[in-house]
Amino acid sequence: MNAIKTIFLKEIKIEFRNKQMINNYLLLSVMIIASFRFAFSIIDFSLLLIASPIIWITFFFSGMFSLSPTYKRELEEGTCEGLLLAPISNSSIYFGKFLSNFLVILLLELFSLLIFFVFFSIATPDLVALFILIIIGTIGFAALGNIISAISSNLSQSEVMLPVLLVPILLFTIVISAISATSKIFEGAHLFDVMQEVRFILMFDVVFLAIGYLLIDYILGD
Amino acid sequence: MNDNILTAKNISKSYGRLKVLKNINLNITKGDRYILYGSNGAGKTTLVKILSTLLYADSGELSLFGEIIRRHSTKQIRALIGFMSHQSYLYNDLSALENLNFYANLYSIKNKKERIENLLKEIGLYHRSHDRIGNFSRGMKQRLALARALLHNPDLIFLDEPYAGLDIRAQEILNDIIIQLNKRGKTFFFITHDISKGFEVATRSGILSNGQIVYETKREKIDTFSKKYKDILLREQN
Repeated sequence: MNAIKTIFLKEIKIEFRNKQMINNYLLLSVMIIASFRFAFSIIDFSLLLIASPIIWITFFFSGMFSLSPTYKRELEEGTCEGLLLAPISNSSIYFGKFLSNFLVILLLELFSLLIFFVFFSIATPDLVALFILIIIGTIGFAALGNIISAISSNLSQSEVMLPVLLVPILLFTIVISAISATSKIFEGAHLFDVMQEVRFILMFDVVFLAIGYLLIDYILGD
Repeated sequence: MNDNILTAKNISKSYGRLKVLKNINLNITKGDRYILYGSNGAGKTTLVKILSTLLYADSGELSLFGEIIRRHSTKQIRALIGFMSHQSYLYNDLSALENLNFYANLYSIKNKKERIENLLKEIGLYHRSHDRIGNFSRGMKQRLALARALLHNPDLIFLDEPYAGLDIRAQEILNDIIIQLNKRGKTFFFITHDISKGFEVATRSGILSNGQIVYETKREKIDTFSKKYKDILLREQN
């Protein structure tokens, strides 16, 4: 636990100092939301129908490009071997990075949500339900994103490879369910009305975390 | 009592079709200061990474502190090893103090505040403790990398091209630290390509050529060793 906490705090400190991931995320999310706003300003549409896909597509793509430096930075700065030499398990590295990514992305998503409500005047839904959905969706996103970031960091064109590997898996697991549940919430549903989607997302959270735990030794190893 | 700290038997390693190390046999005993010379691409870094458990050999057997090294069973052994590479393993966005604090936490070091302060004073960077190391010169980073490698008071210290980027004063500090720590029972294994560096502090020297240790000696005169090294380098080129 000590190693996880140490790596988590280090990641948070570095992230808020060099702001690489934060800047990537903010820039992309504002651009995506603004693009949708202008695109939909010229056609007739129902806000309730498009709100949920816009929110999750913004989270999904902004988050994806922000995850890229997680392991790449360690390789580029040559610090990865320093971590591997320490008497800690590789899973501590994975969970430390996962927790820091989860927290930073979650904060950025909440900021994006605020931007969304500024651009699109839409009735405020059940916010507790929406936040819970965002939290559990982000757990799965950060869990899988982390492991794929570790795999792709060694590849050339890693910035391209990360989305190529991440999109097919996340889209058909967490994102589709999150969009469906969020749509219902915008239409007035509450958390207990979307429990099927919540359970589905939670199941994938557990699966992705387990995959990360099981694969990280092979990815960071020899 | 068996004083063997490191025993390598028939260690081989290939990258694809390229055989980098060929049946390396090596014995390091407690208190040794072993320096291995070799030209660029001779396999030095691969060897030191295998010996320090960062990489695994394709074949052969490595024992550290009497324990045979196997995948996923190196956690305790790693606590006894220090490694200073030509890469510093330090984070540019953190200060010198934060970097050492981070590694001290990973190694669960007791009295870390005192230990870190002492090391920073020893390497002459105490006055820059709170500065981000992204602004440090290569030499300063190397000195801090040494402090990082020594932080957990390891018994066996690997140094990969430790003199790279160090000015003469910093090289002297490094040699002094090596000798002082060696007197306290620490064992050193270092690799370099530069014959003019490190020979004076070594108690044993070897030459790695084309993935094999082709020559080993104890306390030979530098002129004799230097001549031997040049001959081997010439043979490599032909």
